[in-house]
Amino acid sequence: MKRRLLLLLSMLLAFTLVAAACGDDAETDAGSDDSSDSDDSADSSGASAVTAAFIYIGEPGDAGWTWAHDQGRQAAEAATGATTITFENIPEGSPEFDQAVRDAIADGADVIFATSFGYIDAMEALSGEFPDVAFDHATGYKSNDTNFGNYFGRIYQARYLTGLAAGGASASGNVGYVAAFPIPEVIRGINAFTLGVRAANPDATVTVNWTSTWFDPAVEGDSAQALLDAGADVIAMHQDSTAAGEAAEAAGARWVSYNSDMSAFAPTAYVASAIWDWGPYYTSTIEKVAAGNYSGGAYWGGMDDGIVQIGSLAADVSDETRAVIDARTDEMIAGTWDPFTGPINDQDGNEVIADGVVPNDGDLLGMFYFVEGVIGEIPEG
Amino acid sequence: MRRLVLTRRESPTRGGQPIAFLFGLAFALIGGAILLTISGDPVFDVYERMWERSFGSLDTISATFNRAVPLALAGLAVSIAATMGLWNIGAEGQILFGATAATFVGRIFPDLPGPILIIAMLLAAALGGALWALGPGLARAEIGVSEIITTLMLNEVAIRLIVYLQTTKWKDPDGFGFPQITARPEQARLGIIWERAHLGVLIALALIAAFGWFMNRSVWGYELKIAGSSPKTATYAGISMRRKVVGVMALSGAVAGFAGGIELGGSAVRLSENISNGFGFAGIIVAALALMRPSGVAVVALAFSALQVGGLSIQTLGVSSAVSTILQALILFGAIGAAVLSTYQIRLVDRKVTT
Amino acid sequence: MSPAAVELDGIWKRFPGVIANAGASLTVRPGTVHAVLGENGAGKTTLMNCLAGVYLPDDGAIRIDGQEVRFSSPADALAAGIGMVHQEFRLVPTFTVAENVVLGAAPSILDMAAINREVAALAERFGFDADPERPVWQLSMGERQRVEILKALWRDARVLILDEPTAVLTPQEAVELGAVLRRMVEEDRAVIFISHKLDEVTSFCDEATVLRGGSTVAASIAIADVDAGQLAELMVGSSSAVKSLAPRVGVAGDVMLDVRKLTVTDSRGLTAVDALSLEVRSGEIVGIAGVAGNGQRALTDAIAGLETATSGSVTINGSDVTKAGTRERVDSGLAYIPEDRLGVGLAPKLPVTHNAVMRSYRTMRQGPLLSWDRAKAFCSDLISRFEVKVGRFDDPMASLSGGNLQRLLLGRELSGNPVVVVASQPTRGLDVAGVGAIQHLLVKQRDEGTGVLMISEDLDELLALADRILVMSEGRIVGEFDPRQASRAEIGEAMIGAHA
Repeated sequence: MKRRLLLLLSMLLAFTLVAAACGDDAETDAGSDDSSDSDDSADSSGASAVTAAFIYIGEPGDAGWTWAHDQGRQAAEAATGATTITFENIPEGSPEFDQAVRDAIADGADVIFATSFGYIDAMEALSGEFPDVAFDHATGYKSNDTNFGNYFGRIYQARYLTGLAAGGASASGNVGYVAAFPIPEVIRGINAFTLGVRAANPDATVTVNWTSTWFDPAVEGDSAQALLDAGADVIAMHQDSTAAGEAAEAAGARWVSYNSDMSAFAPTAYVASAIWDWGPYYTSTIEKVAAGNYSGGAYWGGMDDGIVQIGSLAADVSDETRAVIDARTDEMIAGTWDPFTGPINDQDGNEVIADGVVPNDGDLLGMFYFVEGVIGEIPEG
Repeated sequence: MRRLVLTRRESPTRGGQPIAFLFGLAFALIGGAILLTISGDPVFDVYERMWERSFGSLDTISATFNRAVPLALAGLAVSIAATMGLWNIGAEGQILFGATAATFVGRIFPDLPGPILIIAMLLAAALGGALWALGPGLARAEIGVSEIITTLMLNEVAIRLIVYLQTTKWKDPDGFGFPQITARPEQARLGIIWERAHLGVLIALALIAAFGWFMNRSVWGYELKIAGSSPKTATYAGISMRRKVVGVMALSGAVAGFAGGIELGGSAVRLSENISNGFGFAGIIVAALALMRPSGVAVVALAFSALQVGGLSIQTLGVSSAVSTILQALILFGAIGAAVLSTYQIRLVDRKVTT
Repeated sequence: MSPAAVELDGIWKRFPGVIANAGASLTVRPGTVHAVLGENGAGKTTLMNCLAGVYLPDDGAIRIDGQEVRFSSPADALAAGIGMVHQEFRLVPTFTVAENVVLGAAPSILDMAAINREVAALAERFGFDADPERPVWQLSMGERQRVEILKALWRDARVLILDEPTAVLTPQEAVELGAVLRRMVEEDRAVIFISHKLDEVTSFCDEATVLRGGSTVAASIAIADVDAGQLAELMVGSSSAVKSLAPRVGVAGDVMLDVRKLTVTDSRGLTAVDALSLEVRSGEIVGIAGVAGNGQRALTDAIAGLETATSGSVTINGSDVTKAGTRERVDSGLAYIPEDRLGVGLAPKLPVTHNAVMRSYRTMRQGPLLSWDRAKAFCSDLISRFEVKVGRFDDPMASLSGGNLQRLLLGRELSGNPVVVVASQPTRGLDVAGVGAIQHLLVKQRDEGTGVLMISEDLDELLALADRILVMSEGRIVGEFDPRQASRAEIGEAMIGAHA
């Protein structure tokens, strides 16, 4: 019996080790306590004296969501000379998050960037407990007007542009979308992408397949494969893995990536990508914290702020398509046009946005219907 | 010819356990130092930080206590099942379903006064956990299905159930469409008793003590000891093995489910599939290191909690989470090695070949 | 003179609270069968375990062929030529005889045909009849024992230790074993023979060493020079002969235990008890004689409710308990002393008190709690009435010697004032004094009007105690004898199925 027990234990521990060793050894910032570092790159307004903590749901090695944030962190660190602290693999809704924030504050953190939605409750509670620390929460919806804010970007704008590229790349007009969870953020992305696809290819449709995952390569790969099997020749996706791209590459289909320019993972399949650039936002927020004028609130930046962008385009994207993409990009940067400018019909052909109307942010944030051209259902919630 | 042999000790050496644990710890710290050197992290700073952030101040000690609560209760759950030679690998799922049951009560009676609601939710949590373990108990008792398999599989079911509730029936209407369950009533929060330690610490200690007392004083505990020593002896003594198996699994599940209720009231605001946070699996290691004794479970859980709390804190020194996880695993290996050493001994012997 | 094959010199071995060996010594010459005698708890098994590398002695020297050795595992001892056949066999049931024999000592190239031939040749050499290709689970206990002996011989053991080897054998098999041992000593090997049975010792062995209280009281005495009475005296320390028991005083009364056409099928689907009928009346001892493995255990387990009857009925004191659980049967007046005391009748790891109240704890409840005061009082009363030697009540049951274990078990069962006692092998493995005490208790119980069903493989014991002897063979009663008139030979023939 004792032996059985130990066997079990060693198995458990072996699993832990394997799981830990599987993740890429992420580069983490060294020199967090090296003060001479900050002197070199000090630029302005005492931002180099700021310590910023970043709390990640995954590891920067994922090439997706966390990678994009970590790129932003590095850019902000270089630009401001601030000290940064990172926590990786912090589960949502667990005591780890609370502890990580306290550890960061004990190490002098002035601002906490929490980069996953499920940290929301703890962020709210901790911002009340530590009024002198700025709490900035990506993807959240809670805030106050002193030290607790949320930030996100209008990635749908970039998705519209990738839709244009995808519509041009699809010969069959059958485009697949590996969708994460049925929430407005994801639905908005599907809709904007579909509008782009149909702008380039009016008869095309976008078929949605839900995975209910944010990161599960096996499930996401299978989901993409199912869409490919159903005839899709371009695949778009919302999760943090590259599995959908690898499935498309293997099937000889095309792929639109998200989070970062993932062309290296599926060089033949890659068409375009909707990408994040968190660097400018992090830089400006750290500067606000340094200047003492961080005041919480909500931030939802678009192409104009550069927080969302379209990544590199595949070589075979036609000049015609490139021209349309460039034109729309310029309009969005100038603020003169938005992908959801009416008239827009829903799946059943009813007009949901009238001609010439641009919905307000509240309507966009609560979007819970599919536009015309999307095939699939939003599960009842 | 010389070689190492591992022989079972005739009896656990008196005072040998602490010595064995010191050896285990030394082994782990040296192994960890090598690991940290390879990964380029500052060895002494890392160890100092781990200590500081787990036991270094009253504030951190209280946090370490909080985290020890679910670990100790899960460990107790596993050790209860082990009294009958049963393996409850499903404490994780029982914690989740316990928290689900507590959430259910909170949804039905959102306006009850805090103390009453807390008691109702904790009872529901225990009941839920018991229910989650009852199936495996019955399957084991009636048709001999291995409880290891069934409890393990029910973990996944509990997770899926919560994900389902998250996106459908219990979805937070104020969550901007995000898949999250409505927060539990605010008044159902376990009060803070000292620094950051919440009431769950006292409740867990009381529960462990009560269980030990009950095992030693009650007819049920007596029968359980007989049944645990040999099924044949139990049958001989007129004790129904089937009822004991079912009862023990249900009690084990109830304790784990209770931990889910404590977590919901103590450290979480709402139910999510992360509320069990691996405590159920860690409980197996806690119980094993405590040699399946309830009193030991509390001490081991505290040490385990410190390891996890300290292990997380070293990320602020730039240690990656992968290295931190390996370091924690190394220290656990040391502890397990020590547990082996206290029951076995290693000797270097001469082998004399006669003939 | 050649050095002794084995020389144990001043061996000390202490366990928590017990000194098992206090300077015990033993010298065994090659080419002899050497008996090691002693009461239960005299330290025989511990001493042999030291020699076989199971325990490391605290003090003292072990010399093999004159060279001092130190064993840290049984493998070490085996390498030095010491083989031990334990009471519980250590065989893999699904392996064949040859596979078991060579397990762990097989040549690196496994040619099973050659191994089978070699094992057969080895068996032949020592006069065994063994088919190397038969799986062990098909073998009888006696045959399995031969496989164990072959295992030791395959490793060329110069010294073979046999721990109570005849306990599992039929009389015929015991005689065969004696012949095998002779062959071994003819090859100048040494055999150490542990036994309680004086007649075996006198017929098989050349020399004997007697242990008492952990030390040697008589070393290497020649068997030819002593008789059984002298050996018994050395073992127990005084000249107390086996008690002759008083014959029955009253006449048998009402039927207390009535077994009708009872059939029991064992876990392998074989019929262990075959439509067996018997009755036990108040005030009589009914003995069941038979070679081990003829359904005795299934019969007693089915009477006690540990085994389910396939058909037939069991009635205790007028109430049909065929479908009842163990508890109802005890309530009807049954006491059961199972053959496997530690595995069934007692919980060896639990304290003495826990074991003492196993039948009566339900009367000691206070709500959901158990009154340990009453439990201790009960235990204390039991211990004094039945003269059980116990350290502390909290000591684990297993720390008691065999005789004291059995006294506590018997005392516990008798304290419920049963109307019928089923005692399975109640004296097996006990020392002379222990056997006497247990026999005395059973007789006293009978004289007070209880019906006693006693299963024993020791025919002498049944002849001395029983009022009727039933012979059991292949799950059936094949004969009934009056012990005052029947001869050993008649009963023995019935046991081995010579007539039926």
